This record gives sequence, C-alpha cells and structure tokens, in this order.
Amino acid sequence: MFTGYNTKKRVNERYKIIGFISSGTYGRVYKAESRNANPPNSKLFAIKKFKPDKEGELQYSGISQSAIREMALCTELAHPNVVHTVEIILEEKCIFIVFEYAEHDLLQIIHHHNTGGQGGRQAIPARTIKSILWQLLQGLVYLHRNWVMHRDLKPANIMVTSAGKVKIGDLGLARLFYKPLQSLFSGDKVVVTIWYRAPELLLGSRHYTPAVDLWAVGCIFAELLSLRPIFKGEEAKMDGKKTVPFQRNQMQKIVEIMGMPSKERWPLLTSMPEFPQLSSLAAGNARFHRPQGLENWYQGCLKNNQYPPGSGPDTPGPEGFDLLQQLLEYDPQKRLTADKALLHPYFTSHGNPSENCFEDSKIKYPVRRVSQEDNDIRTGSLPGTKRSGLPDDSLIGRPAKRLKEG
Amino acid sequence: MASSYWDSTQKKFWTFSKPQLALERKRLEDSERNVVNMYPLPDRRHLSIYFYHQLSKMARPLGIRQQALATAQVYVRRFYVRVEIRRTNPALVLATALYLACKMEECPQHIRMVLAEARHCWDTSFNDISKIGECEFTLISEMNSQLIIHHPYRSLAELQSQFQLTQEENSLAWSIINDHYLTDLPLLHAPHVIAITAMFLAVVLKPTQGGLQVHAAGVASALQALGNARGGAGQGTQNRVQKLVDWLAESTVDIEAVVECTQELISLYEIWDSYAEKTCKDQIAKFVKARGLEK
Ligand SMILES: Nc1ncnc2c1ncn2[C@@H]1O[C@H](COP(=O)(O)OP(=O)(O)OP(=O)(O)O)[C@@H](O)[C@H]1O
Ligand SMILES: [Mg+2]
Repeated sequence: MFTGYNTKKRVNERYKIIGFISSGTYGRVYKAESRNANPPNSKLFAIKKFKPDKEGELQYSGISQSAIREMALCTELAHPNVVHTVEIILEEKCIFIVFEYAEHDLLQIIHHHNTGGQGGRQAIPARTIKSILWQLLQGLVYLHRNWVMHRDLKPANIMVTSAGKVKIGDLGLARLFYKPLQSLFSGDKVVVTIWYRAPELLLGSRHYTPAVDLWAVGCIFAELLSLRPIFKGEEAKMDGKKTVPFQRNQMQKIVEIMGMPSKERWPLLTSMPEFPQLSSLAAGNARFHRPQGLENWYQGCLKNNQYPPGSGPDTPGPEGFDLLQQLLEYDPQKRLTADKALLHPYFTSHGNPSENCFEDSKIKYPVRRVSQEDNDIRTGSLPGTKRSGLPDDSLIGRPAKRLKEG
Repeated sequence: MASSYWDSTQKKFWTFSKPQLALERKRLEDSERNVVNMYPLPDRRHLSIYFYHQLSKMARPLGIRQQALATAQVYVRRFYVRVEIRRTNPALVLATALYLACKMEECPQHIRMVLAEARHCWDTSFNDISKIGECEFTLISEMNSQLIIHHPYRSLAELQSQFQLTQEENSLAWSIINDHYLTDLPLLHAPHVIAITAMFLAVVLKPTQGGLQVHAAGVASALQALGNARGGAGQGTQNRVQKLVDWLAESTVDIEAVVECTQELISLYEIWDSYAEKTCKDQIAKFVKARGLEK
C-alpha cells in the first residue's frame, strides 16, 4: 500500500486500562473504561488483545485464522445472550476486540460455591441454575440459527454480568456450518476442551454437528448442580505425532457414569472411526459392566448438595434429570437441540426462569480479579508461545487450553 | 436461504442501491480528481475480468476452492468502494484478498505460498510477506471486520432440489453465479435473487448453448418470460420455463430485481467481447509505476 497501514482509531485514546484480567491462549484480556463516556467510568469493557502473529515480531506476518474467525463472528452476531462486541481496533500490528464487560463467569461462580464465601461448600440455588441454563440456551439457539457452532462451551467461556445476564463468550473456535458447501470436516479435527467434548468427537466422528454444543451444555448443567466437572478425564497428549490420539481416559469417565453406548440406541455408533477402541476399553474394567448410571449420579448429587427432595422451585427435581439425560444423549441425532431444550418442562414447571440469574439469590459473588501487573495494553508483554508455520489449527489437538496456530 | 442473511452485515452495510453506489464512487473519485484524470482505466467489468484471471492464476496451483475465490472478489470490490484504486497496488490487494478469503472460507493458505504465487503471476516487486500482512490490516479495517459473505451458491443448491434442475442446468447456473462476481451485482442484490436469476437464465438459455456465448434470441425470450411474470401468472404452455415463471409470479421474489440482474449479466456478456488483457495490465501498471505503489 502506498501509505502503509494507518490506524483510524487508537485504543489508548479511546479507553483507559484499569487492569489486566487474563492471559488466554490467543492473547491477553484487559479491563478498561471509556475515556469519553459520560460520566467517565459509567461503562466498563473487556479488551481482548491478540498477540501479534509472532513473538517479538516487529513485522506484519498475517493474522491467525482463529483471530479472523473471531473478529468476523463478533462483528456479525448480536444477541442479548452473546457477549456484545463494541468495536474492533486494528492498530500497529495488534488487534483489539472491545467487549462489554462481564463481572463474572460460570467458572468463577462455581468456584465461589465450592470454596464457599461463608462456611464451606454451598450449592448454587436451583433458580439460579435454571435461569443460567435458560439464558445459555437462548444464546445457543441464536448461534445455531445463524449457522454458528461454538465448539468450545465451558464454564470459563460463559460470562455473567452483575445484572445476572448470561453471555456466551469466546468465539475463538466458533465456526460456520453452512450445509451444502462448507466442507466442515476438513481442517481442524479436534475441538472443545476435553471435559466438555461430545462422545462422537471422542470417537473420531468427522461429521459433527451443532449437537456437540448441546453435549457441552449438558456437562455444564451437571457441573452447576454438582460443582464439579461430571466427566473429568485426563487428556491424552499428542506425543509429537501428527495423529490425534484417542481420548481413552475421557471416554472412560463418560462410560463409568453413562454406561456403554449401544448400537441399538445409537445406530451409527459402529461406523465411528474409533469404535474398535471402545470394546478394548471395556475389557478388564469392572465399572463398565456396572456403570453408576446417570440417574444415580443425579440423585446422589442432589442429596449431597442438599437440594430438597421431590419437585418444586428450589430443586432441579425430576424435570432437571430428564433434561440432563436428553442433553447427555450419546446419539447426536437424538440429543436435544437448543430449540427443543427450551421447550422442556424443566423450564415451565414451577414458574418461568428469570431473566436475571441472581434474582432472589442472597449470595454475593466476588468481583472479577484484575491485576496491575501489566497495565500497558500497547506494549504489554505477551505470553511466550512459539509459533509454527501452520496456517490454521488443522493438526493441533487441544489440551485444556487451545494451542495457538501459526 | 440462510435466515442469517437478513440480519447480516452484508445486507446492512454492503448492499447498495445503484444510485448510492454511484455516489460513493463519485465521492471517491472526486477526492482524487487529478490522479483519476491522469490515469484513465478500462471499464470496471474489464478490470474485474482481469482481476478474476489474476486471482485464478494464483489460486489454481494452490488448489483453492471457487467459493474462496468468490469471497476474494467480493472483498476486492468492497475495498475499492472505500479506497480509490489508483492509491493502491492492485496486485497486492488481490493477493491479500485471496489470502484473507481462504482463511474465512476454511481453506487457509500459508502467507508465503500466496506471496510466491502472487510474485509468479505479476511482475510486481513486493517480495515480503509483511506487505501482505500489512495490507490485510488495511483490508479488514476498510471492511470494518465484516468478513462473512453470503454467496448465492447455497441458495442455488436449495433451488436445485426444489426444481430438480438437470446436471447441465445446474452447472450453467453455477457458472452464471461465478460470472456475476465480475459485475456490481454482489453489492446490489441479495444472494437468493442472484441464485434465482442464475437458475432462470440457465433454464431459459439451455446449457447446450455453452455458457457465456449468449444468444440474443435466448435473452429476448428470457426477458419476455420475466415480463409475463411481472404481469401475473401466465397460462398455457406447460414447459419448464413457464413453470418457473409461474413460480416467480406467485413467490415473493422481487421480479424487478431479477430483471435487473438479468440485464446486468447480459450486458456483461456483451462487453466481454471487447475485453483485452493487455489494456488492463498496462493501464494499471502505468499508475502503479508512476506513483511508486509497487514498493
Ligand atoms: N466480556 C468479558 N468481560 C470480562 N471478562 C472477560 C470477558 N471476556 C473474556 N473475559 C475474561 O478473559 C478470559 C479469556 O477470554 P477468552 O476466553 O475470550 O480468551 P481466550 O484467549 O480464548 O482464552 P482461553 O484460551 O483461556 O479460552 C475469560 O475466561 C474471562 O475470564
Ligand atoms: Mg476462553
């Protein structure tokens, strides 16, 4: 270009950085306030700064595919239950996505109940859970209607504002799934943090669908109820090989509760690439033949967390179990869709879910921690990950944190 | 037709009326009046044909899919609504648009490969990936990060099954859609309108007539058929064209828009005959050299 890239907006002119929130896989997230809002600190923002393409790189070397996806999707999408993108600033080799600020996220909320602000572990109120799930599903219906699969739903990626509004965040792995043309199944093979990964993905399916997001919703529902990840498997590492390993331990955790999937309930099971692994899993493992059963898990969980027995507004009750069971359905074709899940009696019996998940709750959640360790968004150091020359996330598995791409 | 088109940034920010688009361009040219007068350029459609050839040349060895090529073409067209072409090095803009489109269409290419192909097919002197990287920032920023493109191919696939188009009709319609990227139509009409136009033309023109070389008679009958649709459903002839016309008349599709698209495509085919690659190449080279844009 004749004049070189000239930024039209400068992040520091428009925002005042208050502190540093988190260093994610792709960059850093800062808390900020607007410089020209009235009154000045009336509005808060989270600014996600993408790492420049290469560590310490002073030259432009191309934006990573996932940053491109995230920018494009954030610009395109608008829904009360999806984190709102205020603007995107491209400035001197850096990309900043400015989001509305959310004071909490589900990970933090679950953590708070686990450690208990006051006197130990304390269950999340049933109404809070219902409202969270309701809002989460509304956001998901919107995404799926717009042909967007999130692919990385997990508590850390689901934001909650201080007004109790649930907002789906982190569209870094989200993809469009237009049917006739997009060859969705090429490219990246592994998605979704392992604990929330749907069985069809674990079994190597190439034809995955938005149903993967609903499995994750099921896992999140279970985690809100029990305050622990329901299937907490250990990640099998890549071992430097290019093939994606079978996530044996994760599959095992699922089977221990859910029992073995059967081809009677899941007709396409036997055509899954990793299907043969399944029988080898069963060999010599007693729990496979006597799985706990989701119902037992559920009843145990309600009891442990002292939800009242029976049915009513203060317990997820039998309706909750039925919903959970339909979300954690092995066969992706039988699994509830987001639309259908919203119609489930869980949401209609005992009053409608609130649009504010904190309504009627006396629990005070701590505010998001910000540190002052790095307050300079323009020059702030970036977590050191070396980049390969790979153009996308095609060959890269995804451990707890997703690996970056080149 | 994806529900998402209706709320898309494409519809909201990148679909213009003809006068609007003309105004945008005039404003741009006025802001660079001197240069514009000094370096006249060929018809925009000729330039588009030239750009398309250059993009294809880069894309072919890399095995890039048609849809990514189409996206790149739309990016280029959008970009040049915002930035006067004579301020840019088109070779760089094309290479960058292709590089970016590949990422958006889920067929990413390494920036080095794109650079190599760009150098191979233009005798340009940018030889550094950072040029493409920088131009990517410009491109994204001019497009306000609105990178998702809704193409007519998807609507065509739906129409194909609805109307049971033959293989030949379908591939003719497909290539008509490919051709519409050489015009302003992607900035003027919704993708399903383009798809319907393409299907309609394909059925009227019959694939045997071989794609681009459109018969005057075929075109006349297409327009006449559309005229009938405007006047309400016709009776009588039970051929496929008539069925289509009836369907159009009864549907909520904007027939005026289909007529407009048809005319636009037809005038593209007419002007195609006078396309001369060398003229495009030379006239671009002139301002690029004179203004030192190749660096
Ligand atoms: N809108 C927001 N308001 C407040 N905090 C946010 C917001 N968005 C993100 N965060 C915080 O920043 C963290 C990282 O954000 P995000 O998940 O988008 O980035 P990431 O790089 O993809 O991270 P990871 O790989 O850990 O998922 C979130 O887990 C959350 O703690
Ligand atoms: Mg995240």
